[in-house]
Amino acid sequence: MNIIETILFTGSPNVILNVLFVVIKIAIVIGVTMLHVMYATYFERKSIGHMQVRLGPMRVGYHGVLQPLADMIKLFFKEDIIPAAADKPVFKIAPIIPIFATLSSLAVIPFFEGFVIADINIGLLYIFAMSSIAAYGVVMAGWSANSKYSLLGGLRSSAQVISYEIAMGLSLVGVMILAGSLNLSEIVKAQQQYWHGMYLIPQFLAYFIFLVAMFAETNRTPFDLPEAESELVAGYFVEYSGMRFALYYAAEYIGMIIMSSIAVLCFWGGWTIPPIIADAVPALNAVPGIVWFLGKVYFHMFLYYWVRATVPRYRYDKLMELGWKVLIPLALVNIVATSIIKYMS
Amino acid sequence: MTIKDLAKKIFLIEILKGMALTLKMMFTHAVTRQYPEEKRPPFPGSRGLHALVRKSDGTARCVGCGLCAAICPSQCIYVYTSEGPDHTKVVDRYEIEALRCVYCAFCVEACPFGAVALTDHYEYSDYSRDAIYMDKEKLLSNWDKFMSGSKGEQYFDKFWRPRTEDFTTPENQPVFRGRRPES
Amino acid sequence: MIGTEIKTKELTISMGPQHPATHGVLRVVLDLEGESVVKCTPYVGYLHRGVEKLAENRTYLSALPLTDRLDYISSLSNNIGYCVAIERLFGIEPPDRAKYIRTIMAEMTRISSHIIGVSTHALDIGAMTLFLYSFRDRERLIDLFEMTCGARLTVSYPRIGGVRNDVSQEFLDKLYDFTEEFPKIIEEQYETLIDQNRIWLQRTKGIGVISAEEAINWGLTGPTLRGSGVPYDVRKYAPYDAYPFVEFEVPIGKNGDVYDRYKCRMEELKQSNWIIKQCIEKIPKGPVMTPDAPKFTLPPKDRVLSDMESLIHQFVLITKGPIAAVEGEIYAATEVPKGELGFYFVSDGSGRPHRMRLRAPSFVHVSVLPRLCEGALLPDVIANIGTIDIVLGECDR
Repeated sequence: MNIIETILFTGSPNVILNVLFVVIKIAIVIGVTMLHVMYATYFERKSIGHMQVRLGPMRVGYHGVLQPLADMIKLFFKEDIIPAAADKPVFKIAPIIPIFATLSSLAVIPFFEGFVIADINIGLLYIFAMSSIAAYGVVMAGWSANSKYSLLGGLRSSAQVISYEIAMGLSLVGVMILAGSLNLSEIVKAQQQYWHGMYLIPQFLAYFIFLVAMFAETNRTPFDLPEAESELVAGYFVEYSGMRFALYYAAEYIGMIIMSSIAVLCFWGGWTIPPIIADAVPALNAVPGIVWFLGKVYFHMFLYYWVRATVPRYRYDKLMELGWKVLIPLALVNIVATSIIKYMS
Repeated sequence: MTIKDLAKKIFLIEILKGMALTLKMMFTHAVTRQYPEEKRPPFPGSRGLHALVRKSDGTARCVGCGLCAAICPSQCIYVYTSEGPDHTKVVDRYEIEALRCVYCAFCVEACPFGAVALTDHYEYSDYSRDAIYMDKEKLLSNWDKFMSGSKGEQYFDKFWRPRTEDFTTPENQPVFRGRRPES
Repeated sequence: MIGTEIKTKELTISMGPQHPATHGVLRVVLDLEGESVVKCTPYVGYLHRGVEKLAENRTYLSALPLTDRLDYISSLSNNIGYCVAIERLFGIEPPDRAKYIRTIMAEMTRISSHIIGVSTHALDIGAMTLFLYSFRDRERLIDLFEMTCGARLTVSYPRIGGVRNDVSQEFLDKLYDFTEEFPKIIEEQYETLIDQNRIWLQRTKGIGVISAEEAINWGLTGPTLRGSGVPYDVRKYAPYDAYPFVEFEVPIGKNGDVYDRYKCRMEELKQSNWIIKQCIEKIPKGPVMTPDAPKFTLPPKDRVLSDMESLIHQFVLITKGPIAAVEGEIYAATEVPKGELGFYFVSDGSGRPHRMRLRAPSFVHVSVLPRLCEGALLPDVIANIGTIDIVLGECDR
């Protein structure tokens, strides 16, 4: 019996209600995330603009607040160009993969106490799986466009994502050991046992590795080699235009939001605040958890922009060196140390 | 490698310093201008749109000697003259193809009469080439628009070069006045 | 499938003429094997305007604006190079005050050119904030140019035998304020962002290494040569303008890599700043146009209509050029921000150059690109294009 029959023929109103509830939840999450993506671009342009002693978007609406909307409309109505020599089916499918993968990752992220679309026990693994799938979109785009620049971008990206996935996975093993779970809600709850309420302090090394890997995983500066503007023009999506380009763009920003969320959930205590502060100022308990969660996520988003405004870009081989020779050994050391400490206590 | 260097390497000191700088700059004022709303007045003598000097009797000061056309590096000045009724030289047409002009102001320098000027007006883009092709009437009206009053005189005083004072040592020539007190 | 070999071929990519990192319209054809460059062939000429030929149809006076458009981010240095060459050809000596003004202006262009050179280089390597900061500082210099010369970029300010007009007191004061503040800006902002940054060091140290001997053989000049440790600077070896009267050092590098060339440029910024400061402090009173060469300089405007001789000079100089010109030829070099800019003139005694030939540093520097890039990685090509600091207007002429 498949699930549809169960819903339709058992006639249990509870099941139908539950499904409806989940659908509404999905709609809310996707809608709100897309809105955040739009304004993440605005936030980026504004903050980098001010760091570079300029103003950023100022034209559309008050201080350019409607700029993302204008961008969206523009991208929506732009001509969709497919190169004559492209492998058309692959070219068309490629942009759908990253957006699909990143949006699906949202399913396991608990935004606040009890609000998660699918509270599964392998949440972290699921997210890793999805971000690996997103890499296929990049590789396919690089290959199918039949352009040399996008091919190089795709090659770089696949190598980069594969190497940094390892470092990232290993960096989170320490957290898994401490929490004893892969379920993100459980991980958040497990952090409440400390007075500081976050794994950031016992797992500072893992957090650092995760941060670096997070930049690499989402192809952001200083690891933006796949789309290195001054070398490969735009890298793997150089041949895309209009809506398909927008899909890549959206996927990149959703990816950033997801990576920031993971960092917040695994190291910063998610939607909670440190118990010591909550005890000292009980009024803060009245603030809904989503506020803390978004605040922390936006700090990480800001970190992305901040680093982008500061540092140059790594070279391909140095990037690999950093990943394999520094981050992975460090992550392994962290795992061993964490295991020993966990075993001793 | 000393311990200090090692610490610098591990704690990413130089990158954190850079990030502190960018964060600091985020709270300083932007140096860019919102151009069409917020304009910076050009400095006097800034070389922009051309103008022909109009005398007080309403005619052009230009006598049609053609020196401006001779020196023009991009050869964009056309002067057509004919003989008038009392054997005077009449300037029939005086045209500047502003789209080819390189704004070197050599025409101003070449003119022995001070009859052509470059105003400091720089916003005259248009949708057609004809609108920017400057004929005599347009050039004269540019003078009225942008150089009227004493502005025109001052322009020739300061920017119609060289003058005798450039070949001699004038009084009050600017020199270094010493370090200015901290304000 | 036994016996059939898989044939592999290098991936040929054409970088430019439209490419964000090629500083204009340079086209580099790269044969890549993976990411490493097997062969690198630069193609130039996309910005060719025939400046050398055009000058043959202009008088010595009216060919000056052509030189503005060579290296368009340091146009004043080119003007000065042009005027110095003609002055040497005809034995004209500009007055001291004009020499000081020219030196100040030339060093101002050097600062604005070097900060753009370094910051676009950093932008190519990915650090984009420096680029915006450098444009902020350049804006101050450009405003000063506009105040004195009447134009921001294509200034056409020097004249044969002097400069177009005197500087104002406000200019000297503002420029002096700039020289007081600028070294601090370099230290606090430019160097904080990239000087010690590990990524910057990784991208620049040991990249594009060229030894001193090889650099000389390739004909490199300017900071590109000095990065390899050769202290050659036209300002020291064949001084012109006010350079003999001021003190300055010629910074040199040691390893001849991208980082050393970058350091040379940064150090030259400070030296230029120092030169400007000295020039402002020492600037003498006096004429800005030489009174000794009436057959080459335009007569004073206030005398043109009252003095017969001046009127004749005015007409003859403008329509025919300086007819007092002697026959002869000259090669005169000046140190522009990019390197040694040489003007070679052949004069047949008429008012127009019989032949004008340019030794453009960018053109020479482009030729060394294959030497620097072959065997390197694709990102190093970008670093190398940035480090030789080319401007295609000058390269293609």
